[in-house]
Amino acid sequence: MQNVVERVLNLLIYLLESPVPVTAEDIRRTVLGYGEQSDDAFHRMFERDKDLLRSLGVPLERQALDIWEVDFGYVVDPEKYAIPDPRLTEEERVALSVAARMVRLGGSNAGLEGLLKLGGAERGVGIEPLGADLGAETAVLGDLFLAITERRELRFTYHGGERKLKPYGMGHRRGHWYVVGDGPEGERLYRVDRMSAVEVGEKRDAFKRPRKFDVKTAMSNHPWEAGTDERVTATVRFDPEVSWWAGRTLGVEAPDGAALECELPVANRDAFIGWVLSFGESAEVLGPEDLRHEIRARVDAALESSG
Amino acid sequence: MTSPRTVSRLARILALIPYVLSKEGVEVREILDRFGYDEAQLTRDLNTVFVCGLPGYGPGDLMEAYIDGDEVVIDAADYFARAPKLTSTEALSLLAAGMAIVGSGQASPELESAVNKLAKVVMPDAGSAISVDVSGEPETLGMLKGAAADRRVVRITYRSLSRETETIRDIEPWAVFTTLGNWYVQGKCRLVDAERVFRVDRMRHLKVLDEGFERPSGIPEPGVSYSPSDDDVVARIVLHPQAAWVLDYYPVEVVKEGKRGTEILFYSPDAEIPARLLLRLGAGAKLLDGDEVRARVAAMGGALRDRYR
Repeated sequence: MQNVVERVLNLLIYLLESPVPVTAEDIRRTVLGYGEQSDDAFHRMFERDKDLLRSLGVPLERQALDIWEVDFGYVVDPEKYAIPDPRLTEEERVALSVAARMVRLGGSNAGLEGLLKLGGAERGVGIEPLGADLGAETAVLGDLFLAITERRELRFTYHGGERKLKPYGMGHRRGHWYVVGDGPEGERLYRVDRMSAVEVGEKRDAFKRPRKFDVKTAMSNHPWEAGTDERVTATVRFDPEVSWWAGRTLGVEAPDGAALECELPVANRDAFIGWVLSFGESAEVLGPEDLRHEIRARVDAALESSG
Repeated sequence: MTSPRTVSRLARILALIPYVLSKEGVEVREILDRFGYDEAQLTRDLNTVFVCGLPGYGPGDLMEAYIDGDEVVIDAADYFARAPKLTSTEALSLLAAGMAIVGSGQASPELESAVNKLAKVVMPDAGSAISVDVSGEPETLGMLKGAAADRRVVRITYRSLSRETETIRDIEPWAVFTTLGNWYVQGKCRLVDAERVFRVDRMRHLKVLDEGFERPSGIPEPGVSYSPSDDDVVARIVLHPQAAWVLDYYPVEVVKEGKRGTEILFYSPDAEIPARLLLRLGAGAKLLDGDEVRARVAAMGGALRDRYR
């Protein structure tokens, strides 16, 4: 391991200091640690070291050395290598390191590792009794973030089908991560933990994000508001014993100890019915009539299969 | 594959060098704290840096790195004047962490400005493309967090997840946390004299009392888990494909996967939770075993039928 660290540091220094792209053969002849290897061993070693540098955030690029694209060389542009300085004050950096310790994301320490690049992450400062678990796998989220910030297209599998997407944004809500983007079916929302075989397109700036795009608007407030069903306004009554709780979910003031009646926009009937039924007998949809019929049918079906 | 330890060692070295270069002189203690080193690790990394440099690798080509008294010195390493840029995973993790705390309403002004500055740098033209919503009422969360920090007992009116009943309890809050879209308080419930996890949105009233408490040492990481006990109601249910989401939301045991769906065992302290779930699933699920649950579905379904007649 000692040798790997030294060799990779030497390689990176050589690449950063070379004004022109260098070939693998140049590297093998010049950089300490490669010279004594057989052809095979060298190539394996060099491949590993390139991957390692890229995983550290080093923009290692392969470029053609001539217009016929016969020979290739490697280059690290010092401008692209250097972290853009957000100019954090000491207090801001410490606040960020406290936040990174309070929030868990996929069991990795990527946030704290990132903070080292911004000047360090102190141990044991201002630990607070507050925590958030944002679930999910970080590797996929990182890929999605890259695709969004560099406007690269995404390909992935969702519910068994192949999808293509121009990802405009992503967000975490109610315990899950979502990606919003434009595809053959129009603007849509995908749940990240249901995506698999995610591939990020090679081409940067493959699309334009609409100037007015805001992921918060795209991921609308309640699950029943986001959907493709014809929009209707439902009237619901919550009995006194649950009105405060329903009011809290809906963000409305509920009268203490009295029933709550409210009108709600519904674009996903299934999600809406599921939510109302989670109140058991303590909530009732008063209208429209066809929504009541649907609930009645749902209850009948449940009674048939499980009653 | 390169070992993860090698990766993090290199990452730390590439962050350490620019930091030391940017200062006139840095105390060893500060470096240990900022970069999470112990002294032996720091010495080892400085010794490594000391033998690396430009091709030729003679004395004038190598970097200088050593400890002088109580100061860390690094020189002749201009190519490492800046740290490498954040990887997309690092950038997202940091942003999301900051945005989650800001979203909970518990952030200091410093954190808010840090998140804004960071966002400008890592996604200069994607300002509204990322959001982290952890909902929760800032005022309630603030009170609970404050009580946990000050070790003060909180009196809550609580509506249990499984029963319609409300109870008044005194709890000793240890930590406030969010997972799977809900906020919870982990702590000791004085009513049952045992550790419990409470959902914050089911606390109807809460009041921080003057009374203090001793926080036990070695508290486990907060988390929501449900371990079945002998008193549990067990229901055997088949979930048809349209109801597969249940697997993501409830701690169920999968018995077998068949052509028609997934057979699960659903454990809960009483029949209310599975009964409500079955009602909302309609034809999407079928109860195979569980008399108590069946009776509850029938009773609740009957009452709902009357309402929707």
